[in-house]
Amino acid sequence: MSDGGLAKTADGTGSPHDVLYRLQGMKVHFAVRGGFLDTILRRSRGVIRAVDGIDLELRRGEVLALVGESGSGKTTTGRVIVKLTPQTDGRLTFDGKDVTDLWGTTALRGYRRRIQLIFQDPYETLNPKQSINDFVMEPLVVNDIGAPRDRQAATFAALEAAGLRPASDFAFRFPHELSGGQRQRVVIAGALVMDPEVIVADEPVSMLDVSIRTELLRLMLDLRAERGLTYLFITHDLSLAWVIADRIAVMYLGKIMEIGPAEQVIRSPHNPYTQALVSVSPTPEPPTPGERAKRTILVGETPDAAHVPPGCRFHPRCPYAFDRCRVEEPPLFDVGGGQSAACWLAEGGRSLPVLPHRIQEPVPSPAATAIGAELPA
Amino acid sequence: MGLAGTELGAGRWSGTGRRARDFAARLLGRSDGLVGVVILGFFTLLALSPSLFVGPLQTVLSATGTPLEPPTSTYPFGTDELGRDLLNLTVHGARISMLIGLMATLITIVIGSVVGIVAGFVGGAVDNALMRLSDFFLVLPTIVLALILAPIILDVIGPQAEFLGIRATLLVIVIVIGLTSWATTARIIRSQVLSLKERMFVDRARVIGSGPGRIMRRHILPNVVNLIVAQAVLTFATAVFTETTLAFIGLGDPAAPSWGQILNNAQSAGAPGLGAWWYIVPPAVSVVLVVLSFTLLGNALDDVLNPKTGQRR
Amino acid sequence: MSVDPRDLARSTDEALVDARLQDATAVPESSAADVATAKRSRRERAIEAALQIRGRRQWAPPKQAKPGAPLLEVRDLKTYFRLESGTVRAVDGVSFQLDYGEALGIVGESGCGKTTTALSLVQILPPNARIVGGEVNLMGIDLVKKTENQLRRYRWREISIVFQGAMNALNPVQRVVDQIAEPIEQRLGEPKATARAKARALLEVVGIPKQRGAAYPHELSGGMRQRAMIAMALACDPAIVIGDEPTTALDVMVQAQILELLERLRRDLGLSLILITHDLSVVAETCDRALVMYAGRVAEEGAIGEIFRRPRHPYTQKLLSSFPNIRADRRTLEVIPGSPPDLRAPPPGCRFAPRCTFAMAVCSEVVPPEITFGDVRVACHLYPPGSDGAQVTVPRPNAIGASVPLVEPPPDLPPMEVPA
Repeated sequence: MSDGGLAKTADGTGSPHDVLYRLQGMKVHFAVRGGFLDTILRRSRGVIRAVDGIDLELRRGEVLALVGESGSGKTTTGRVIVKLTPQTDGRLTFDGKDVTDLWGTTALRGYRRRIQLIFQDPYETLNPKQSINDFVMEPLVVNDIGAPRDRQAATFAALEAAGLRPASDFAFRFPHELSGGQRQRVVIAGALVMDPEVIVADEPVSMLDVSIRTELLRLMLDLRAERGLTYLFITHDLSLAWVIADRIAVMYLGKIMEIGPAEQVIRSPHNPYTQALVSVSPTPEPPTPGERAKRTILVGETPDAAHVPPGCRFHPRCPYAFDRCRVEEPPLFDVGGGQSAACWLAEGGRSLPVLPHRIQEPVPSPAATAIGAELPA
Repeated sequence: MGLAGTELGAGRWSGTGRRARDFAARLLGRSDGLVGVVILGFFTLLALSPSLFVGPLQTVLSATGTPLEPPTSTYPFGTDELGRDLLNLTVHGARISMLIGLMATLITIVIGSVVGIVAGFVGGAVDNALMRLSDFFLVLPTIVLALILAPIILDVIGPQAEFLGIRATLLVIVIVIGLTSWATTARIIRSQVLSLKERMFVDRARVIGSGPGRIMRRHILPNVVNLIVAQAVLTFATAVFTETTLAFIGLGDPAAPSWGQILNNAQSAGAPGLGAWWYIVPPAVSVVLVVLSFTLLGNALDDVLNPKTGQRR
Repeated sequence: MSVDPRDLARSTDEALVDARLQDATAVPESSAADVATAKRSRRERAIEAALQIRGRRQWAPPKQAKPGAPLLEVRDLKTYFRLESGTVRAVDGVSFQLDYGEALGIVGESGCGKTTTALSLVQILPPNARIVGGEVNLMGIDLVKKTENQLRRYRWREISIVFQGAMNALNPVQRVVDQIAEPIEQRLGEPKATARAKARALLEVVGIPKQRGAAYPHELSGGMRQRAMIAMALACDPAIVIGDEPTTALDVMVQAQILELLERLRRDLGLSLILITHDLSVVAETCDRALVMYAGRVAEEGAIGEIFRRPRHPYTQKLLSSFPNIRADRRTLEVIPGSPPDLRAPPPGCRFAPRCTFAMAVCSEVVPPEITFGDVRVACHLYPPGSDGAQVTVPRPNAIGASVPLVEPPPDLPPMEVPA
């Protein structure tokens, strides 16, 4: 637990070298399951490259938003960090120690105490047959933490910290008796009970009503202030990331396209995908025709992770794609102020030109045509 | 949905009584549930203490009637070829048939559940192996398997074995039924487990560090219990019926008059040819009623315990 | 001066198209389209749209249609659900009007009754729901009074619906183009070949090329399936299409594509749209008017500009500030404490009163009447009959977000009670 998270405003980040968690070259590849014949002949039917080599730093006390559409690999990244899914390649470092290979060791227990996950669906995360009390106490029981009589007190404390007061009113109920917002608070209590340092939150509010969302978000931010938590906030909603994140990382098809302080990434994106996402994120304000004209509505959908385009994986849909993009994948270039973008245009710190309204034909590339990108009407 | 804490009462158990009453109301509100419970209740009562209703089991020595008498006021179900009161035999038969059914069901359910849960959850080679094994048992016809296994099991347990008043030959039937029926249960439970293990709360149990054993016990099992109960009831029906069949073809214990055994005796005594319908009808009707009631109850339970509701919010 | 409305429409379209092709910086903020639109009143726009739609439609409006009647007029609609635990008054007196060519967005959170309202319009309700009062007047014909058989003339041919989660409602064993041809064949009595040809044309219109149309649903992505559902809703060339959360489960880029598609269809086919959604931002993008529902009643209704720039009802104001705005300078979100009421026993008076920071004594006793000011209708005691309709801004004590300093909590933070 650090004090670094307490004495600063939300707009700044922690001290730049206080890296709590680091991913280096992390990859998660899944083999496409073949039929019986394939298994006998040991034929590979393809690889799903869910995460295809990312470097990520999580700084102590910050809220880092991992933003992406479906197929971007953001959820898989979160699962790797909480060790629900093993990584295929890469190094993981937590608080200076290498935690790449913890499977089957006792150290895994200590790891799980310090890094927890909040799931997306409060209706599914709770076992319908398990009481709230059992649910919140379970981490303590499984990991043999504390004396049995202290566990009940810790459970109640966690429930109250999550806003369910008095805890005794809620503890012995079952999930179906609670509303969505209350259930998500139970999930948060379950994550808090072991007093973790890092919480990976995977779309924690997307299934809740709008007016409930803000309460849960407030709770999460308050908890950060009180306990010095660090959040990896996974979401598809760029606007939500804009409101609560210190830094934003944008993922596309298994790679990080851009990362940096929230203000910079949103206000001056250096990657065309980020620029397009920002331009189409709806706002609670009727757009003027001038604003409408600035929308970059990309054609087609994200290709599936088994057919990743060569070169820059975004090039088939990119309005600026040129020859180099089709053959060589750009690394993340530093564009100043702690912001980096993976784009050949960003090399040398150039900023993006203003976009036209619509991208016409997608740039043909062998892999892209396999997916059947649709044409604009 | 925001219910205040006090409405449902604080404390662990106050909800349970209400849930039990809810469940009973829903079960008995259905026609199949009601009929099943009534018939089953009736036969259970008879089975628990048959002597209370008709006196001790009549044997060759204590037979009091004239052989093969049609039903009279003294003997409402008539007599068998030894002069025994068929009402007496049929009521005692309830106990034997249902006890055998119960024991066989227990074996089936225990093996079937364990195999189903482990195969479904662990997956991979273990799943493959267990499923091939269950396929084997599924495919073989029960009667054939019974005929083959009976002498083997008899050898194993010894001819003097007895359990709860059931002697060796009937114990063999119990074990045979158990062994041949577990495969269906295992398959059904396994498919439920397959979908359960993808659910988010299983992931959550993993992320806090639970091992597979704990997950299977605390998360998977409670969520298949309903299915197991419904399966058990249906298995019971099958077990009673199978026992009747096996006893009828002569694998039973002549001294323990289960309904199938009574039918076997009727067959040997030539009752059909002699027109002694009273010898055949009571045990046959009893089997039909019990199997029917279990089936109705099983279906009702399945619907009540495993509702397929869509709405969540 | 007599101007042919069609000429006006054409020149407006051209101006819009020009604006989009030019570089963004070259387009003046207030383009020709803006000026032309502002000058025409709602009535003129309605007449023009009606001409467009009548000129385009291939068959006559229903025989019973009353000339001069608005396209859709809902009056005091009440739909109740019967549950074991009581009667849920899901829709409790909702009125609104939809003109030709208009897009109306019905907004609210879960349980406010917006989906039930939509389903009541086409009368596809679950068995325990019933319309217990009110009128649904389609071109002057009251649909509530029609029998199931009589409704067939209107359902899908005049008014169709794209359901929530519709992408998963496609028949998995039937090719997409066949599923779209089916209503054309059955409802309009067209021969099979013609129906298929029309289906293919419809698929092109929604952006699914021919070869993809012959696919099965599971071979298409989520966005494509949603387009297929839209094509199915258009199959019989209806006057009104209702979209129930049409983009909720989709990625933001696909959502933008679908919304753009709906806008284009509206323009090209002269469709009228009713969009049901919890997402205010979607309504801001696509609709002309918005209707904000709360707990089965209308809180506020009006032109988009008024609702979003001068929201009057306290709920509307709070709802607006609960949506993150990526183009705003401040990175904050508003907290609305409490949760919607139980509709089996709704509170007397205004249903929002228990959560309202401005609640007065009268609010929990008397149901606020709906008062109209120009282009806006509000049901709130802050705007009693006879007031001038000036906006009353509700103070905002609770804000969270990255722009809020962590150390000092916002002032006037109410105590955090047991939340619902």
